[in-house]
Amino acid sequence: MSETVLEVKDLCKYFDVKRAGKGSQKVMAVDGISFEVKKGETFGLVGESGCGKSTLGRTILKIYEPTKGQILFEGNDITNISKKKMLPYRKKLQMIFQDPYASLNPRFTVGEIIEEPMVIHHMYSEEERKKRVQELLEIVGLKPDHIRRYPHEFSGGQRQRIGIARTLALDPDFIVCDEPISALDVSIQAQVINLLEEIQREKQISYLFIAHDLGMVKHISHRIGVMYLGHMVEIGNANDVYKNPLHPYSKALLSAEPIPDPKVAREKKRILLEGEIPSPINPPAGCPFHTRCPYAMEECSTASPASYELEGRKVACFLYSPRYLKQRENLAIEPLLAGR
Amino acid sequence: MEWFDPIDPSRKNSEFIAVESKSFLKEAWGRFCKNPMAVLGLVVIVILGLLSIFGPMLSPYAYDAQDTANQYAGFSMEHLLGTDKFGRDVFTRLCYGGRISLSIGFGAAIINTITGVVIGGLCGYIGGKFDNFVMRIVDIIYAMPSMIYVILIMMVFGSNVRSILIGICIPGWIGMARQVRGQLIALKEQEFSMAALVLGASDARILFKHLIVNAIGPIIVQVTFLVPNAIFTEAFLSFIGIGISAPMASWGSMAQDARQILTMYPSQLLLPTVCICITIFSLNFLGEGIGDAFNPKKK
Repeated sequence: MSETVLEVKDLCKYFDVKRAGKGSQKVMAVDGISFEVKKGETFGLVGESGCGKSTLGRTILKIYEPTKGQILFEGNDITNISKKKMLPYRKKLQMIFQDPYASLNPRFTVGEIIEEPMVIHHMYSEEERKKRVQELLEIVGLKPDHIRRYPHEFSGGQRQRIGIARTLALDPDFIVCDEPISALDVSIQAQVINLLEEIQREKQISYLFIAHDLGMVKHISHRIGVMYLGHMVEIGNANDVYKNPLHPYSKALLSAEPIPDPKVAREKKRILLEGEIPSPINPPAGCPFHTRCPYAMEECSTASPASYELEGRKVACFLYSPRYLKQRENLAIEPLLAGR
Repeated sequence: MEWFDPIDPSRKNSEFIAVESKSFLKEAWGRFCKNPMAVLGLVVIVILGLLSIFGPMLSPYAYDAQDTANQYAGFSMEHLLGTDKFGRDVFTRLCYGGRISLSIGFGAAIINTITGVVIGGLCGYIGGKFDNFVMRIVDIIYAMPSMIYVILIMMVFGSNVRSILIGICIPGWIGMARQVRGQLIALKEQEFSMAALVLGASDARILFKHLIVNAIGPIIVQVTFLVPNAIFTEAFLSFIGIGISAPMASWGSMAQDARQILTMYPSQLLLPTVCICITIFSLNFLGEGIGDAFNPKKK
């Protein structure tokens, strides 16, 4: 876990929206995000709906053209390269989609779906491809005779596994998992997660794992990034972030996670945030979170906090700037549910 | 644990699918066959098609062979449906007219489908300024009454099948293009087209193999409405006297010829009109049946 596979530097993705009477405005879906993912590592991305997690994943894969910033894959800048030059990277950078009912072409048989990536990249001869399809079906736990079936004949979990087989056909090094389990029921979620973990162990694949099931993210991730309104507010090791979130937003987000034990749950202190999440069309100046932050200070509304390193973690909050380190102790920001 | 016993793992067969595998088209065909009117429509169209292809060959008379001694003959074994004002065999002429009507109908449908699918597909897939530009041109073409194109083309190129086809096809693809464009805009946002992009598929591959293939249902339905439309336009043109010129026959021109002698020999007008009606009815039933067959919600 030393080699960096993917590095994202100050990535931005703005969408233009036209609204009657207001002219053209920009939705700042992803606004200045930097992080890196190492080989064989799972980087979990959490945040509430609409915070830009999926947009970030899609921008990294260049489904959307990035507005600003850089995407480095194995040290090569792939931000602005042509479609043709991108082709070899497409083999290595892959994606597993959220909705297993929409991500498979309904007019293709399962065999055709899994074979397609190999056809596009001219891999193997026709016979070898057929053989490989069979292998892939076996890896994801489906039967070889499913090859002639159509996606609509399968259940959600089976379809998601077909999608995973299609992704694996290219032997990728990095997979963006865009909420791969949120459309599946709990028993099937475990199936898919175990499959993903097994593949990672075998092939040293890196994942960018987008989800909003906090428990699942903690389970599968080595490191976690917390997003709020297009910004990365905190990055750190999964256990650290989970046990002792530093950023006020992370604290609130993690305190919202349900606990299966009612006794503990009753005693748990939940942080309830005031107000609504601001619109990404007109994001607040300064720190994006200051409108709802219980610890907001004057400078939060004027200046945007940089990412401060602290015990191997990165937190974008003034409370952790060297200037406030002393004051912070007085602010009584205690760890939540320590030792759970 | 007395209520629930774990099953023997060897008997576990959770990945098994019991239902017989059916492709999308097979399933659509199954649904189509359950609709008697649609099947009847298909049968009638096939019979009319066969008659118009083989009828003139089997008939002992040429469509333009005159027999002035034998005008307005009644139905007989010699002339199945009688003869017209020049003593030409009506059955042969109906079959021949069917050839022209049906070939214009299907010819126009094929041309309009290809043009419409390609232009609509490009507009929907590329979007943005290109889409905007092409759609404004479409609006301009659509704003003019389609009869004007047909009549203008006829004046320039003369009255024949080719100019009727061109006249019908200039505005004819617009409905198809709009339909396909709308479908593609919706399909483009589906995750499977994003998946194809991420896999590295070329634009042409995404457009034809992933998007248009999934719009095939609405496209086929649109085709089945293009055919009767073209047939009707041709019949109308021939009826008002600017379509197919004598001695060639089409159902419309036969009806036109019979107009003056309507009171004495009504069958002369009735026969071609009935042919037009039957064809258009059958095609409409067929179209509706296909539309339902491709709509999986109508099981």
